[in-house]
Amino acid sequence: MTARVYLKNIVKRFGKVVAVDHVNLEVREKEFLVLLGPSGCGKTTTLRIIAGLEFPDEGRVYIDDKDVTDLEPKDRDVAMVFQNYALYPHLTVRDNIAFPLIIRRKQLGLTREEIYKKVLEVAKLLRIEELLDRKPGQLSGGQQQRVALARALIRRPKVWLMDEPLSNLDALLRLQMRAELKRLQREVGITTIYVTHDQAEALSMADRIAVMNKGRIVQVGTPEDIYLRPQHVFVATFIGTPPMNIIRCITDLRNNKLYLHCPGIEREIPPEVAKHLREDMELLLGMRPEFVEVHKEPGPDTIKAKILVVEPQGSELILNLNISPEDREETIVKVKTKATRKYSPGETVYLELDWTKISLFDAKTGKALA
Amino acid sequence: MGLLARRKRTKIILAFLLPELALILSFVLIPIMGTFVISFKTDHGYGLDNYYGVITERSPDKALVIPENIVKAQPPPWGALIHNIVWVAIHVPIVVFLGLGIAYLLHDVIGSSIVKSIMFLGMVIPMVVGGLLIRFMFDGDLGVVPLLFRKLGIEALSRTWINYPQTALIALILGSVWLWTGFSLTVYAAALESLPKSYIEAAKVDGASGFQIFFKVVFPLLKHATIVVVIMTMLWDLKIFDIVFVSTLGGPGGATNVMALIMYTYFARALDYGRSAATAVILALISLIPGIWFIKRVMRSGS
Ligand SMILES: Nc1ncnc2c1ncn2[C@@H]1O[C@H](COP(=O)(O)OP(=O)(O)OP(=O)(O)O)[C@@H](O)[C@H]1O
Ligand SMILES: [Mg+2]
Repeated sequence: MTARVYLKNIVKRFGKVVAVDHVNLEVREKEFLVLLGPSGCGKTTTLRIIAGLEFPDEGRVYIDDKDVTDLEPKDRDVAMVFQNYALYPHLTVRDNIAFPLIIRRKQLGLTREEIYKKVLEVAKLLRIEELLDRKPGQLSGGQQQRVALARALIRRPKVWLMDEPLSNLDALLRLQMRAELKRLQREVGITTIYVTHDQAEALSMADRIAVMNKGRIVQVGTPEDIYLRPQHVFVATFIGTPPMNIIRCITDLRNNKLYLHCPGIEREIPPEVAKHLREDMELLLGMRPEFVEVHKEPGPDTIKAKILVVEPQGSELILNLNISPEDREETIVKVKTKATRKYSPGETVYLELDWTKISLFDAKTGKALA
Repeated sequence: MGLLARRKRTKIILAFLLPELALILSFVLIPIMGTFVISFKTDHGYGLDNYYGVITERSPDKALVIPENIVKAQPPPWGALIHNIVWVAIHVPIVVFLGLGIAYLLHDVIGSSIVKSIMFLGMVIPMVVGGLLIRFMFDGDLGVVPLLFRKLGIEALSRTWINYPQTALIALILGSVWLWTGFSLTVYAAALESLPKSYIEAAKVDGASGFQIFFKVVFPLLKHATIVVVIMTMLWDLKIFDIVFVSTLGGPGGATNVMALIMYTYFARALDYGRSAATAVILALISLIPGIWFIKRVMRSGS
């Protein structure tokens, strides 16, 4: 039943815009893959190509090792939740959800009663059972979105394609629906490609995340990979609240050892990383705000920093700090810390980095080193 | 809004409304009332004589129903009113499905606007010319339709259609299909244009075949266009006059008579204004049925 999806070198252009740029992506059987990226990066276009609603200019689409590039949507056996819902305005919610089954009624050998029973089950799952007799025009955005989701969930296709299916729900309902959706997907094991630009959603739901930017896939990996080992500055700065701090640095050769030279930071580069580097290279040092400790007193390996702004966030604080040794220059770093003690702007503190959790990127290509 | 402001607003609204009201009154309402009054006028005051006369008239050129030359279980003449109804019954469904079908097939096709424009020509040419074209189309020597049937070896349909009571009415109805499909096509093409693509896409992904997409999604979503086409076509059919007048004058033997033509015959030939007005009122009342239905539908969908 369930299937593998493979995109091979897909290119899609709209006039001069390259919406999808040489995308290679393998979605494994029963996997919950999240396509994550900023607005306009080509997520919807990628989904539409998989669904068969858009024909790629280059490349092939495989579902279950079968080349489906030239197949009509109806022959691909996928279900899709549209970003704009696309509910049939002339049908009630009940008939909207039932539509995919009614269309295949003879094939599936289902009676109308059986279909409507299934509709009720899905509607209960998504908490829209009171809305079944209404028309889509009489629903709120969040309600319509759940109807659209229900219309996809009622089927057991080879692949579920979901284009931001929870974006319009309130925070609480969204959390509940994420859990329900994930549970259902585990249970029935249908390969799912889920589009979102909400990183929290991606990190909490995905088996693997594919991060897209400007039509390209920048990195594919588990949420942990994406979070801790970004392969590209874009991933580092797109993920995390606040995102990873990026500090411009330069390499420096002294005593036959390569040093990382950044504003306020001097450190020897470990030899296994250093062997890929030369002198006078521009690098980007990335550190997550949560992997920095803040001390009152200087320690053996600390960086002196001056507090500029304090942003309280409930039990945590975000400190905006200047780590540049010269007061005239500014190298701003954000640090997340427990709100156990008071910090005030102007105060000097000392930062201790977790050097095992930092990332280094080539400043020219943006790619991660080693 | 304060009372004063509201008064001022009312004044402004009235200032804009009055000229139109005056125009409508003098050029629409008063003539209608006048027709109404004339239709009841008789030699000895007012009464229903004209209506009685119009309905019971049996001469082939003026009969609304049951003309004296009617033959049992035979082709026309059946009477002008029946001809109008037959016209509606044949013309409306053909125009709806032809217009919708062509619009759907041409939808999203490159260069389709050229085809649509050509088909719309039928709407642009004066109906008098249209009537003449129908004469040519169904002419036994020159016409394309008889020619087609001659090639098919059907002798009965390869002569001049409008000369025979058996074929005259259907020739006019088919001719009016040709003239009027452009309207239906245009309305449906516009409606399809404004129909969001995503509904059809959703249906495709949901697994619907081309047929199912058309009948379960597209056609229901074009309901408003269909209402417009059906009503406008019905009204056009009920008051049809020019193409009949030009091509057959209601003949042969009243086989293509229609209500509007009878109204004209009373008025311009018999100089019987009372009966002419009575025919007009009957025609107007019949036309009101689809008109009221239309307004109801529009009101309901508006709320
Ligand atoms: N039909 C189209 N015609 C022209 N350009 C298009 C079309 N569809 C998409 N694009 C362009 O392709 C690019 C990718 O669009 P796409 O809808 O895939 O983005 P997205 O990642 O889904 O964005 P969002 O998060 O806002 O939904 C955009 O630059 C968009 O303007
Ligand atoms: Mg999108």
